[in-house]
Amino acid sequence: MTETTRSAAAPAAPDIPTGRSHRVRGRPLLYTSYAQDMALLDTRAKRVWTGLLVVLAFALTVLLQDRSLEVLATAYVMAIGAIGLNIVTGYAGQVSLGHAFFVAIGAYTAAALSGPVDGQRLGYGIAEIWIWLPAAGLVAAAAGVLVAPLATRLRGLYLAIVTLGLVFLGEHIFKEWQELTGGPGVGREAAVPQLFGVRLDQDGPLGTKEQLLYTLMLALLIVFAVAARNLARSRIGRAFAAVRDRDIAAEVIGVPLTRYKVLAFGISSFYAGCAGGLLYTISGYVEPGSFSLLMSVQFIAMVLIGGVATVSGSIAGALFITLLQPLTRSLPSLVPFVSGDTTQTPNVFQVETVLYGLLIVLFLIFEPRGLFGLWIRIRNYWKSWPFSY
Amino acid sequence: MTIVDRVRERARATPHAVAMRHKDFGIWQEVTWAAYWTQVELVAHALLALGIEPGDRVAIHSENRPEWLYGDLGTVAVRGITVGLYPTNPPAEVAYLLADSGAAILLAEDQEQVDKALAVRDECPDLRRIVYMEPRGIRGRYDDDLLMSWPEFLALGAEHRAGHPDAVERRMAEAAPDDVMTLIYTSGTTGPPKGVMLTVGNVEFAVDTLVTGGGFTSPPPSERDLALSYLPLCHVAERAFTVWFNSAAGVQVNFAESIDTVQANLREVQPTILFGVPRIWEKVLAQVNIKLESASPLKRAITRFWLRVADRIGDTLVRTGGTHTLGTRLAYAIGWVFCYRALRERLGMRRVRYAASGAAPIAPDVLKFYMGIGIPMHEVYGMSENTAIATANRPGRVRLGTVGEPHPGIELKIDEATGEIMTRHPGNFAGYWRNPRATADVLDPDGWLHTGDVGEWVDGTHVRITDRMKDIIITAGGKNVAPSEIENALKASPYLKEAVVIGDQRPYLVALIGIEPDTVGEWARRRGLPYTTYRDLSEKAETRELVRGIVNEVNARFASVEQVKRFAFLPKELDHEDGELTATQKVKRSAIAKLFEDLVEGMYAR
Repeated sequence: MTETTRSAAAPAAPDIPTGRSHRVRGRPLLYTSYAQDMALLDTRAKRVWTGLLVVLAFALTVLLQDRSLEVLATAYVMAIGAIGLNIVTGYAGQVSLGHAFFVAIGAYTAAALSGPVDGQRLGYGIAEIWIWLPAAGLVAAAAGVLVAPLATRLRGLYLAIVTLGLVFLGEHIFKEWQELTGGPGVGREAAVPQLFGVRLDQDGPLGTKEQLLYTLMLALLIVFAVAARNLARSRIGRAFAAVRDRDIAAEVIGVPLTRYKVLAFGISSFYAGCAGGLLYTISGYVEPGSFSLLMSVQFIAMVLIGGVATVSGSIAGALFITLLQPLTRSLPSLVPFVSGDTTQTPNVFQVETVLYGLLIVLFLIFEPRGLFGLWIRIRNYWKSWPFSY
Repeated sequence: MTIVDRVRERARATPHAVAMRHKDFGIWQEVTWAAYWTQVELVAHALLALGIEPGDRVAIHSENRPEWLYGDLGTVAVRGITVGLYPTNPPAEVAYLLADSGAAILLAEDQEQVDKALAVRDECPDLRRIVYMEPRGIRGRYDDDLLMSWPEFLALGAEHRAGHPDAVERRMAEAAPDDVMTLIYTSGTTGPPKGVMLTVGNVEFAVDTLVTGGGFTSPPPSERDLALSYLPLCHVAERAFTVWFNSAAGVQVNFAESIDTVQANLREVQPTILFGVPRIWEKVLAQVNIKLESASPLKRAITRFWLRVADRIGDTLVRTGGTHTLGTRLAYAIGWVFCYRALRERLGMRRVRYAASGAAPIAPDVLKFYMGIGIPMHEVYGMSENTAIATANRPGRVRLGTVGEPHPGIELKIDEATGEIMTRHPGNFAGYWRNPRATADVLDPDGWLHTGDVGEWVDGTHVRITDRMKDIIITAGGKNVAPSEIENALKASPYLKEAVVIGDQRPYLVALIGIEPDTVGEWARRRGLPYTTYRDLSEKAETRELVRGIVNEVNARFASVEQVKRFAFLPKELDHEDGELTATQKVKRSAIAKLFEDLVEGMYAR
């Protein structure tokens, strides 16, 4: 945020000079302009700590092993997807179980665009990330806009069921459209991340494959997260909140419901599409079976555990769920009766699903605001010192 | 030089520095010195256009806001006389003040104040114009030749300036030290209010002594200081701390939204210089206690501990006159981490470098609390009639229970026969407006001002005030008792808001007591006592027991004749509009004694 901004007040008489408004030192609550009031990082403490956090995140590239970097990079991409779901479900209040469908559209758009022209599968040979990433987002967004009219007619549970239908529809299409997806069990190569001629999925002079991908995902996550925060504090964000809190009341105060519901689905799907495009560049391989209900549930879990209608909560939730995976995968070595084999019961994947469900239930009962709510509780405890409110 | 010249100088030297802030739609809008000066100039021109001649009166009836200052300084610029009206003044008092001062123009804040003036217009033949600042409810509804909106008023000024560009400058150059620049109406605890005439010379002396001379703060106030303006500007104390500090030292004035939002505004502004009346300081202390009661056990225990330490620190500071010892410094440093820093931040006093209490007597225990948590608190004394220049506790030489030392360069003596405090200096007022008889009563031929306060010297340097001369009670047994001391001891309890001690020509003292509804309400809630109204709450047997405990505790500190033998509860909260309090929230004893005569008689009859 800039330190000084033009005062918004209109002069009372034509020749009365208006000054510039300054932040007054040491008075964090004394706002002399709306820009200060709305600033994302409005205090020095927030600026310093956020700066340190970003520096630390980038420093991890050299501090961590490649294996850990890969897990974190996956978590960051999932965070982009979770932020997308939070926009439509958290901010605009439209429950969507179809997030996996939009992720799939993004993944296949990106894969097809960057795939080899003369390969076995559909491909156009455009490997530059700055082309296929927006394209993946836009195609997914277009699909979202097509689905959105349903949301204007349905609410709550009904909308959830309809979006659930999308997932099954998508699963069927992607299994059958073998020219694009390679079919179940076979799959196809994922999008190729190439930035200005530099392949980021191969070790190079700039670093190992994992280091490059980690840095890319972190940078993109920051861009998407800041964009979402900005959206949330804008006119659109306030309209979303109005629609969420009471759609009839929102319409009465002049918020066009259809437009904002369509917009919410469009933006959310854009985020999902981008996440889909990026997600499989890490493993380099897409299989149509992965876009199942489980993935949608995973995103829902991230949003609910992280914190509804918060961007930092989405990121926290994505990190939490993604880092949970390596933990559960190591269960068979610790607990003998849990098997690592999918054909046996109970296996780690079932344990994972049960764990997601359990965590969602526990969070909804004890801290509906999620991890972000826990943070708020801790912060308020110290903020209200020496009183309780 | 007048305060207007000072503002013009600042507008030239630092045009883009912030002169004041006012909160509008959640944002503290800044007014620079250049903007301030332009507004003052426009108001001055508009007043000239409306035919204001030197010595004409302009009344201002508004809450604290920038327009108050524009109107005040604009009036002084054209050698007019500003008359401030309290926003709470009911129509009858508005009529009296407008008629007595003979104001030609009234600057009214909003529909409420305009309505009051319009209701009594027949009693104010001199009133030619009412300028309103807030158009809401007036524009398009009122059709009256008397009315003019603020933008119209400024447009008139702009037009006049185009025709006579140097008219205001010429008027300003003519200003003489003997010019009366403001009428400050006394609160009138006994009779009708009297207009205290303060001249340009009086105010300049006050500025030299109190502001640039550092009579209160040390080091003297500067452009880096922030102040919160929330007490009525028609009172001499707030005028000094807002208008004079601002124009003479460049202190940034921040206008509170209203008296009810003072605590929230304090937290936002975190002023460095803070003046309060005892009522405010007592209220903040009571709030601390309420919030502490409802804090979680751990926080409560920790804070209680550090407040006990603060109490000890306060004791030491009282002994040393406000200077820290090594022990208190160390204790305070540790306590700062655990409690004082956060507590002061919450109270909005984290950055206060000078706090003052004045305008009414305050219980020493309240002041000690603030000193203990690290707020440099000073009791000061002055009155409208001597332009608020009499005594002040100076930083580092504080003596609790006194109002401090006389300012350097003034004469102050205590009459040996009556004990009355008298002052003589260039700040002594020019007389009461159109009331030479009353003037002669307080201003003797030698130039001594009789303050009407009874006091005594403490260690030959500090002055302790016993009471108002008129309030001293002589019991039927012939003993002299100062009721305010007992009353303040009672009001130091967070549960009591009002205490009026009565006993003149009576066998013993009794007290009328008003509870503080916030704290007693909270106390009742925690005990599970249901109650409906203020009166219902006062009449609970449990409340009576609570108050009896407080009264007994206070009585233990006084001699037998000074003890309150019986007390009764006031059936309602005292109010300015009902004629029980003055505009400055001081109790009108005679009115109370008459209004609640049956209660008083009841206490003596039993």
